Amino acid sequence: MKHPFAASLGIRHLVCGSCNGCEHEMNALGAPQYDISQYGWDIAASPRHADVVTVTGPMTEAMRNAAHSTVDATAQPRSIVAIGDCAVGTGAWCNVGTAGPGAGIELAAEVHVPGCPPTPDAIIHGLRQAAQLLDLRSRRKR
Amino acid sequence: MLEEHSILGAFADAEMLHYLVLKAGVIVDLNVARENVAVASQARHFPGLDWDEREMRDIYGVQFTDHPDPRPLLILNGVFPEAVVAQGKGITNFIVGPVHAGIIEPGRFTFSSGGESVIHLDAQLSYARRNIEGFLEGRDAAESAWHVARICAACSVARSWSYARGLEALAGVEIDCVSELVRMTCAEMERAYNHLFDIAVSSAGAGFGFGLTRGLQLKERFARLNEVAFGHRYLFDVIVPGGVRPGMLQNRISLEHALCDFEHDVINYCTEVFDNPGVSSRFAKTGVLTDEYAHAYAGVGPAARASGGSLDIRLDAPYGAYREMAPIRMQRSQGDVAARCHIKRDEMLDALRLIKAALHALGDARIPEPKPLIVGAGNSAMVTEGPRGAETVYVCCNAEGRIERFHAISASYRNWPLVIKATQNTIVPDFPLVNKSFNLCYACVDR
Repeated sequence: MKHPFAASLGIRHLVCGSCNGCEHEMNALGAPQYDISQYGWDIAASPRHADVVTVTGPMTEAMRNAAHSTVDATAQPRSIVAIGDCAVGTGAWCNVGTAGPGAGIELAAEVHVPGCPPTPDAIIHGLRQAAQLLDLRSRRKR
Repeated sequence: MLEEHSILGAFADAEMLHYLVLKAGVIVDLNVARENVAVASQARHFPGLDWDEREMRDIYGVQFTDHPDPRPLLILNGVFPEAVVAQGKGITNFIVGPVHAGIIEPGRFTFSSGGESVIHLDAQLSYARRNIEGFLEGRDAAESAWHVARICAACSVARSWSYARGLEALAGVEIDCVSELVRMTCAEMERAYNHLFDIAVSSAGAGFGFGLTRGLQLKERFARLNEVAFGHRYLFDVIVPGGVRPGMLQNRISLEHALCDFEHDVINYCTEVFDNPGVSSRFAKTGVLTDEYAHAYAGVGPAARASGGSLDIRLDAPYGAYREMAPIRMQRSQGDVAARCHIKRDEMLDALRLIKAALHALGDARIPEPKPLIVGAGNSAMVTEGPRGAETVYVCCNAEGRIERFHAISASYRNWPLVIKATQNTIVPDFPLVNKSFNLCYACVDR
């Protein structure tokens, strides 16, 4: 198989203090207009099954440990995708009050999808980039 | 002075404790000077205020002489409040969260179950807390509307509207009737897409895949309508202090046509969902919330109206275009998942009726630019009926138009204790269904 990840991406979604706008758009990925299952992609119910962790929000104090545990629980190779302006580091809640600079920045995301919220098409584009990175990495190993 | 059905919420600032109640269509702020002494808890008599008073204690250090729950409400400085669990032979305790298996906001749910039945559920929220209220203090009130619209996406319009009304009261500005019609249209669009989404995820909770997929498809169509007509898929920043964002509703006729198509499809969709025997048997008598409890806990919105409640801010404290165009008050008494979903279906269809009536009334009227506001010193509390119920915003400004205290009481904040209670009468596998029949937000609760 040439592109094992691009054809079967397990996605774990991690919310770190977003306003739930990004979650609306993540949910839209399951709507027939986008239907990510046609690419062999799925929202994984456990980080153990995930190839990609999508993160939203600026990173709240209370979520910091749980977020790192989630990322630590994923198997290598894996990629982190920052979804939305807050996770990317330019959003309304970055460095506000007790919030962090962006969940994607703290967790060193490889792919950044800006937008408040980003459109489902933009998210799919970001996920495809992550899958390509993973495919490159796994090919090098073989 | 307090009565259960009129409580909107309570909060503190440096000098006062504020208890907001709705009396004969007017918000009354029953405030008590703090004077650095312990005060009697109102939560002992009005359990709906339990969270409010614990939050006052956590953030403002207010001491109560007899509050029923000594635990903190919030996760502060890395201290996670301990969950209350049931103890005894045959009882299993297990924790779900704060990271969940789907696309859900963070929260820690500790279940105590005896066999299949939930004996006790402890919900620990505040994982999404950004301390927005502290951040807004000292900022320009009018410019902060952009931040207020982003506290929570699912009730953005309702909160923006409450906030705008508050600032307009402080600035002494009246809003013209065209802008009021546009505001109502936006608020009803928000209600319609939220209720549709709630029905879709509730049918997913009942294991009806078609209900979820078709519901998401219709919701996506709605998001695209929002984008074309109002410039944002989830209606951020459509209501601004002084009016509405310029440039909206350019092509009203095509929106009206699209809404007619949409209404036809959504009615068919609802028939498929509600007439499905599997769905209706899972919905019926599941997650029953008694009217006594909804009443005692000052529940709001469709969830309270499904348990015999009547409060609808649009009718009981009318504002904007609702003064002329009244919605229909939807009420049911069963208090189960079916009642909540039926109320949401009826309100969604009524929202579409109101939108069409508003577009008709608008005709080709030009929408005025937002009025400039000079926000004066003072405080104002305003309440708007959002998709989940009363969205209250309190704002106190100084003479320079800067925020001294901002507090948002969301409908989800009022209703989370109701979800906990409704779960306690059910089996563990029904929790997702019961939860989704309320489908409350976390972002506006945690702030």
